[in-house]
Amino acid sequence: MPITDHQEQKPVKLRARNLDFSYGDKKVLDGISMDIFAEQATAIIGPSGCGKSTFLKCFNRIHEVSSEVRVAGDLEIDGVDIFRGGIHEVELRRRVGMVFQKPNPFPKSIYENVVFGPKLFGVRDRDILDGIAEESLRKAALWDEVKDRLKESAMSMSGGQQQRLCIARALAVNPEVLLMDEPCSALDPIATAKIEELIFELKKEFTVLMVTHNMQQAARVSDYTAFFWLGRLIEMGPTERIFTNPRDRMTEDYISGRFG
Amino acid sequence: MLMLKAMPSTAGDPARDAVPATKMRLSIHSEGSRGLRFLLDRGAHSVFLACALVVVALIVGILVFLSLRGFAAFLPLAGNTGRTLSFAEVFLSTEWAPSSDKFGILSFMAGSLSVTMLALLVAAPSGILTAVFVTLLAPGWMKTLMRQVMDLLVGIPSVVYGIFGLTFLLPLISAKWLKDSPAAGFFAAACILMVMIVPTIVSLSMDAFEALPRTLDEGALALGSTRWQSIWRVLIPAASPRLLTAVVLGMGRAIGEAMAVQMVIGNNPAWLSLMREATDRAPLIRFLFTPAATLTTELVQELPNTAAGSAWNNVLFAMGLLLFLMTMGIILATRRLGQRGAV
Ligand SMILES: Nc1ncnc2c1ncn2[C@@H]1O[C@H](COP(=O)(O)OP(=O)(O)O)[C@@H](O)[C@H]1O
Ligand SMILES: [Mg+2]
Repeated sequence: MPITDHQEQKPVKLRARNLDFSYGDKKVLDGISMDIFAEQATAIIGPSGCGKSTFLKCFNRIHEVSSEVRVAGDLEIDGVDIFRGGIHEVELRRRVGMVFQKPNPFPKSIYENVVFGPKLFGVRDRDILDGIAEESLRKAALWDEVKDRLKESAMSMSGGQQQRLCIARALAVNPEVLLMDEPCSALDPIATAKIEELIFELKKEFTVLMVTHNMQQAARVSDYTAFFWLGRLIEMGPTERIFTNPRDRMTEDYISGRFG
Repeated sequence: MLMLKAMPSTAGDPARDAVPATKMRLSIHSEGSRGLRFLLDRGAHSVFLACALVVVALIVGILVFLSLRGFAAFLPLAGNTGRTLSFAEVFLSTEWAPSSDKFGILSFMAGSLSVTMLALLVAAPSGILTAVFVTLLAPGWMKTLMRQVMDLLVGIPSVVYGIFGLTFLLPLISAKWLKDSPAAGFFAAACILMVMIVPTIVSLSMDAFEALPRTLDEGALALGSTRWQSIWRVLIPAASPRLLTAVVLGMGRAIGEAMAVQMVIGNNPAWLSLMREATDRAPLIRFLFTPAATLTTELVQELPNTAAGSAWNNVLFAMGLLLFLMTMGIILATRRLGQRGAV
């Protein structure tokens, strides 16, 4: 199966080869091979339960914390193996940031949320932290809304603001990749539009890999789209081509809303 | 039940009048039992109401009684046989000598505070850390086991802890550290209290951590935290309002405990002066191993020996009222904390 049909100029940032994944005995991903290009937004679509989130989380290994998982095949970041000790998971997570389905700010001030990562890595200088906070909040298109209330609790923000705060928090550690698992599913249309705009900006600088159940969203913001079905990668290609001229019958059925 | 509901609407319907006789009888029967059930309902209602009223009346009665007797020491009431005391000589004096008309209870207040704080000093951090370990780091079966053990420990009567302290802990301390001189005092009392309140703190702290959303932990880890960084910087702070509640409830238990403490503390109302005088020992040793007394132990020791209406007896009631108000304050404080934690 072709990994993608497009001649991409950007280098491959993340690479999966014959990736199998199980929770305990339950096989969730089956032989996924996929290239994700640097500084592009790649969207994963597919019916719920088909393994999109699981695939995403493989790249920062976050599900290993709470679940018994088994993995076979290869997964690389910049050609370095992710699963077999090529990179420590803490280092990996620093380079691969994640935004979750539901906004999950810490019950701390807005400011403390943003500088949480830098503080972890030992930044103590107040001026540097202030600078990072402002820059990250600006990148997350949140600065103007919160610059006068940085000391207030993050829990007092709206859902959309909280999600952008989580994006700012992820950006503050200066990651290379941003994983986003249905980042707008808990948000209203206006907040969704803001986040989508933001993703459009962010992909100029970061590699964005996002899951969405919203096909219009995938069409609007992503450069590449991958269609998953029952733990398999059915088809991947440039977003425009996938939506106008899908090669696989199942992809066509799915994007035209005939199932899923 | 079905028949009951169907009865009124079918009454005038000719098509349904042809109900078989057995069914008719059944429905008539349930009509009858409906009246009976109604009466029973009313009866049960009254019984429950009466029970509730009795309980409320009892509690209010105790409160009123305690308050009256507690304030009797300071008011010239009819039943008093002794003189009327001032607040200052009771609450601000450490001199307790009822036979020579001295009723200062400050040393008992200090005693209660000392044992409670000593017990909390160890019980709070160790209880919270145990909960951290069991809920966040250990495998699932351990969590279940720990819950059961803690519930079991909470249910042990305090006199059992007292006996353990008296027959095992005191001789052990005395032989190991004190060259066989008596070990009764704050240290032994705090040890026993600590063992008694740790299960409460562990159990409530486990609840606190289990109530945290999993996404909080994942969020911290996804930013590159290690396991411990996530625990220290995110999970413990996030759980802190409920952790504080756990500690404060443990404290309430410690302040109110009488039996176990009384069995190991040495029961010396004049412990302050004894401590001052024993200059041959280091201050900390003196503080920990001088026989002492607290509000609760003094109450238990002396109340049976005093005559109602005497100043002595009245002051003991004032101590009881003070304990009640402190415990009440603690419960109200935890309510507040709990509410803040829920936001
Ligand atoms: N922690 C877990 N333990 C066991 N099974 C899981 C876990 N997370 C997800 N699954 C299962 O794996 C499958 C894929 O889930 P997921 O990756 O969340 O799908 P998607 O994001 O496409 O909806 C589902 O059948 C789900 O029930
Ligand atoms: Mg999902």
